[in-house]
Amino acid sequence: MITDYSFWTIQLLNGLQFSMLLFLLSVGLSIIFGLMNFVNLAHGSLYALGAFTGYTFAKLLGSYWAAFFLAPVAVALVGAILYQLLIKRMRSASPLNQVLVTFGLLFVFLDVFRFVWGDFTLGIDTPELLNFGFAMGGQLYPAYRLFIIFLGLIIMAALWLVLERTNIGAMIRAGVDNGEMAACLGMNVNKVFFSVFCVGCALAGLAGVVAAPIFSVYPGMGIELLVPTLIVVVIGGLGSLRGVIAGSMLVGMIQTFGQVLAPQVASMLVYALLAATLILRPQGLFPARG
Amino acid sequence: MIKQETLRTFLAVLLVIIAVIYAVNAGYFGKEILAEILLFAILAMSLDFLAGFGGMVSLGHAALYGTGAYFYAVLTVNYGWNAPSAMAAAIFFCGIAGWIVGAATARVRGIFFIMATLAFGQMAYVYVFENRALGGDDGMSGIPRLDLSLVGIDLVDPTNFDIFLIVVAAFVFIFLMWLLKSGFGRTLVGLHRNEMRMRALGLSLLLHKAAAFAIAGGIAGLAGTLAAQHAMFVSPDYLDWKLSGLVLIIVILGGLGSLIGPVLGAAVVIILKHQISAYTEHWAFFIGVFLIIAVLAGGHGLYDLLVKLNKRARRKATKPEEVVDA
Repeated sequence: MITDYSFWTIQLLNGLQFSMLLFLLSVGLSIIFGLMNFVNLAHGSLYALGAFTGYTFAKLLGSYWAAFFLAPVAVALVGAILYQLLIKRMRSASPLNQVLVTFGLLFVFLDVFRFVWGDFTLGIDTPELLNFGFAMGGQLYPAYRLFIIFLGLIIMAALWLVLERTNIGAMIRAGVDNGEMAACLGMNVNKVFFSVFCVGCALAGLAGVVAAPIFSVYPGMGIELLVPTLIVVVIGGLGSLRGVIAGSMLVGMIQTFGQVLAPQVASMLVYALLAATLILRPQGLFPARG
Repeated sequence: MIKQETLRTFLAVLLVIIAVIYAVNAGYFGKEILAEILLFAILAMSLDFLAGFGGMVSLGHAALYGTGAYFYAVLTVNYGWNAPSAMAAAIFFCGIAGWIVGAATARVRGIFFIMATLAFGQMAYVYVFENRALGGDDGMSGIPRLDLSLVGIDLVDPTNFDIFLIVVAAFVFIFLMWLLKSGFGRTLVGLHRNEMRMRALGLSLLLHKAAAFAIAGGIAGLAGTLAAQHAMFVSPDYLDWKLSGLVLIIVILGGLGSLIGPVLGAAVVIILKHQISAYTEHWAFFIGVFLIIAVLAGGHGLYDLLVKLNKRARRKATKPEEVVDA
């Protein structure tokens, strides 16, 4: 098994696929964190919301692809409402209060999911279009998983283009680097904050609806993935795209290969990595701010 | 009007009296709830000492609690230790664990400190959850309670166990009050208020923070050993970060930095939880909404509310005199 070439390829693909999901989930959180100095513990709940609304859309409209496009929009809408009602007010609050309020939100979301969708595990079928596999060393590797990797790479490239090559990207980077100075130069920082927050929510929702056919859909799914997401953000460094990419690859690969090579310590490895990062390099690997 | 210090003592004595009366008169279910409140009260006092006075807001406190519970469980069930020495060993181990976390995170601040403690907590959680020798996610059962039959007390009786917990909680309160008044306690508060000045005075940031974390860890471990004895069962849920969050909520709602406030907070949150659970299974929803409103309202917890009421009472009482003076 150890010398089996296709076995390692499959593990590598699994690692990549998990990394891409983490990337989709973390990138919004990281930019929001870096840009607004706001930590949103309810970000994982938005991922779960994406999966649940995706489930409902897929059921009502009878098509996974309708859910694929509608769920992120729905999550972004909920995010926009949350921002206007709550998060706008919390931006200048102390980290402790931010943690408390978003922790409260997490509780609220958890029970809303239970109330609306019930306290059990739901599933979405893999879309017909991608319901086949590639032969790989006597096994079939599902095309849907390759689709997730592909999607992650596309979003990564698109975000890089927007952040590095457009005016809007320059404004976001300026906001992360020095919000006050950017505001002094006539930039509407609040508007940028709001749009970034909504896009971040939409990406979390996208991650949810994309993950739904692979992982099951249940109320606690967001909380389960929240901690790895926070780890990605902190390891990578706040507010930088490069940091999120590096962080999600590291965490995704360590988790996947650790599970294969050393199952007893695999999950602990990620936390140890986080603790080491916080102590030795608190600013993260690629912080946006010098 | 009563002075703040007196108010705190008065409140503590009042709570002890209420708890004792309740422990004797309540039904079986009520006694179980009281035990739960007392366990959370001890844990919350420990976190308040750390967060409210030392400025170290930990989101991994449940991990120390759970570590204490598991350490006690393993020593008594697997190694046949007697309860007192297992308790002492568990408390000592949690103290050391706390010292290490405190020393490692001494220079980490704000949200990063919260994340770092969360990481350490999750590390312990995952270790326990995946360790088959510790029963994995099934946990461990058959954990014995302390045997006080030598002095004629049977701790298997729920009333006796409740009173035992009341005594321990009172001792923890007195110990922490004494500690906060000592030179060490004042230095700790000083480090929180003005770190630069304390360091300019030549005090070691690392040693003081680590020592405070060790003490808080030991008390959290003590609460854990008591929880294991109460339920006679331990599970990885004891170390879950959601539990850390709940304890933090209790401390904040009760009043950060007041020591007695978190005890009040534990009573209110646990009673609320059971009251709401009687009507709906969605109690987390209401706790969440309650928490958001409490933070948005900008209050400083229940204890602060009492202090303000007390001040208002004083103003009313002194008003006639002011008129005479004028």
